[in-house]
Amino acid sequence: MKRIFIDREKCDGCKNCTVACMQAHRATPGTVYDLDLLDRKNEARHTIVSDGKGRYTPVFCRHCAVPDCVGACMSGALKKEPDTGHVQYDEKRCGTCFMCVMSCPYGNVKPDKATRSKILKCDFCKDDPEGPNCVRACPKKAIWVEEVEVL
Amino acid sequence: MNESCYGCSTCASADKPLEGFIAGLPMETSHHRVESQETKCGFGLQGVCCRLCANGPCRITPESPRGICGATADVMVTRNLLRAVASGSGCYIHVVENTALNLRNTAIEKGKFKGPGALERLCKLFGVSGKDDYEKALNVSNAVLNDLYKPEYVKMDLVEKMAYPPRFKVWKELGILPGGAKSEVFKGVVKCSTNLNSDPVNMLLDCLKLGISTGIYGLTLTNLLNDVLLGEPEIRMAPVGLRVIDPDYINIMITGHQHTMFVHLQERLTEPDVVAKAKAVGAKGFKLVGCTCVGQDLQLRGAHYTEIFDGHAGNNYTSEAILATGGIDAVISEFNCTLPGIEPICDELLIKQICVDDVAKKANAEYVPFTFADRGKQSEIIIDKIIAAYKERRPKVKLNLLPEHGYENNLTGVSEVSLKKFLGGSWKPLIDLIVSGDIKGVAGVVGCSSLVAGGHDVLTVALVKELIAKDIIVLTAGCSSGGIENCGLMVPEAAELAGPKLKAVCKKLGIPPVLNFGPCLAIGRLEIVATELAEAIGIDIPQLPLVLSAAQWLEEQALADGCFGLALGLPLHLGLPPFVTGSKVATQVLCQDMKALTGGQVIINGDAKESAELLEKVILEKRAALKI
Repeated sequence: MKRIFIDREKCDGCKNCTVACMQAHRATPGTVYDLDLLDRKNEARHTIVSDGKGRYTPVFCRHCAVPDCVGACMSGALKKEPDTGHVQYDEKRCGTCFMCVMSCPYGNVKPDKATRSKILKCDFCKDDPEGPNCVRACPKKAIWVEEVEVL
Repeated sequence: MNESCYGCSTCASADKPLEGFIAGLPMETSHHRVESQETKCGFGLQGVCCRLCANGPCRITPESPRGICGATADVMVTRNLLRAVASGSGCYIHVVENTALNLRNTAIEKGKFKGPGALERLCKLFGVSGKDDYEKALNVSNAVLNDLYKPEYVKMDLVEKMAYPPRFKVWKELGILPGGAKSEVFKGVVKCSTNLNSDPVNMLLDCLKLGISTGIYGLTLTNLLNDVLLGEPEIRMAPVGLRVIDPDYINIMITGHQHTMFVHLQERLTEPDVVAKAKAVGAKGFKLVGCTCVGQDLQLRGAHYTEIFDGHAGNNYTSEAILATGGIDAVISEFNCTLPGIEPICDELLIKQICVDDVAKKANAEYVPFTFADRGKQSEIIIDKIIAAYKERRPKVKLNLLPEHGYENNLTGVSEVSLKKFLGGSWKPLIDLIVSGDIKGVAGVVGCSSLVAGGHDVLTVALVKELIAKDIIVLTAGCSSGGIENCGLMVPEAAELAGPKLKAVCKKLGIPPVLNFGPCLAIGRLEIVATELAEAIGIDIPQLPLVLSAAQWLEEQALADGCFGLALGLPLHLGLPPFVTGSKVATQVLCQDMKALTGGQVIINGDAKESAELLEKVILEKRAALKI
């Protein structure tokens, strides 16, 4: 399966990945020029954590081999797809219990800030044949996609 | 990838032979660097990255809708825009200041004026006189300089004399009449510094004000002052493209916008003793090869310089390729469009770089400052240095010419005066053609070439093709002209590409469907045409079926020019947004509300077909309002 890897030494905290994620998941079509950067509905699905001393850690969904979020989901809204190994979310089945949020050790499944009625998580840009937009947007190549074997 | 292979990743160009030439070069150009700069910062594109203070860079996101200081997206965007417009205005004001100073000094020294007609015209416009041409020129240049040096709180005198009265009235009502042009630049940069102005609309109005001073002085008056010293444009045919480089001569390429800095050198280069110097080292003499806007300026007035001027080789992003031919022996820089990318190429090919105005001091150029009093001495220094470079480099450098590139028979020398003369001394024939619908409308396609709007000249050329196919005649100025002519749209045969009605008009008159007014400074000439057309019909400028496009705008100067277009009330198309879309207020004012303020509006679209349709729609609306 494919996973996003990070090299925190390379991250400059430019948040270009953040804009790319917002653009990739916006509700209305358009270009990055008309992406509403103030609209909470366009929230990004990852976070860049600063240590306050000029170092940054990009935190992206691991699509874990044994995902705690999937284990915690009672309604079946979160599923690990057998062919890709990616954890995908079905909003229609979600009971909004946020057990997944509580169980993710990386803090990367989060309630959406706009409505608090669903969760936001990385879908690996499943509909984009070119793969995750965040990876393509990183000017430093601090994040990249690698094929890994899962036991 | 092979270390020496630079051809694997060049950007597209509307000029396919040029694209192939660049792809095959054994050295890197801007066209090669587009790919490695492909990742663009989303905050920067929208204009909401603020680096004005040490708290920054602050960026706008849903979680951080204000900068640390509290600046909103609207404040960040308009501050950044005002900074850019002030800087762009400053650039053009620098050009007009030097031009006026050179005219003034020539008058004092009782030098030569090649355009007496232009001098009379300026005297009439300004309402000044003099006992002879020298005194007249002195009074004209002083009138310009006095205005430029006024403080910001004193309005300039010539604005009312130069502007179309209905426009002047609008500007006065909006409170955007500019004070001293240099002081306006100063005021602009002060206003947008950290924690000063935070009113987006107030800053946008300042942009318009800077647009007026840029347009009237930097653009329009620079042309007219140049006409006095350098001679007025005359319609003629001329060659363009890399074909103009003749390796039998010592070739000098000039980059910039300040043609009056070369008057002395240009004259010297054809004098027998200097030609003899060239012959002594094995060349036939000297030639100036046109490049960037100063090359367009030479081409425009080429009728006066047939002996020294070889023709226009190409625009801003063609300059690296022109140098890479090895046929150029020296570059003289004096203003912008002098890409930093030419430096390593000049080093590699032993091309002598000389800078005559330190605003364009290149890292590896020798600085020989132009001062009017020392111009004689400096011309000799420059000539000797170039001859030495020629002797040194020619045996060592392999030429890589492209003699088949470009076109031989381009219509040039078009100005507001020469075009009117061509039409028989009045605008009536053109107005009649517009009224009858044989010409649906007029599009001014101006500005630069940038490399990311589809590639080098790609959007510009495609848009022009779409417009002429819709029977819209295109008038051009700036580096866009250089691209359009190198793609063959300014030869009379290009009439075949026009719509049936425009094609018939072109064939009857023997002209191409795209008329080249020359350098970006000549945007001022286009605006004189617009004014005179409006005057002849008895309407205001925004009522004309006329649109502007700076499809591939590149620089801060283009933004200042664009603000002039908006102040004139013209619809202004841009292929890429000017880093403002992060602000709802700026976008709303520029694209919508401006229509109620000045009559102008910004139209942003990066697709040639869609853009042409949008512009045609505006033209049709204006026609309908005029009941034609």
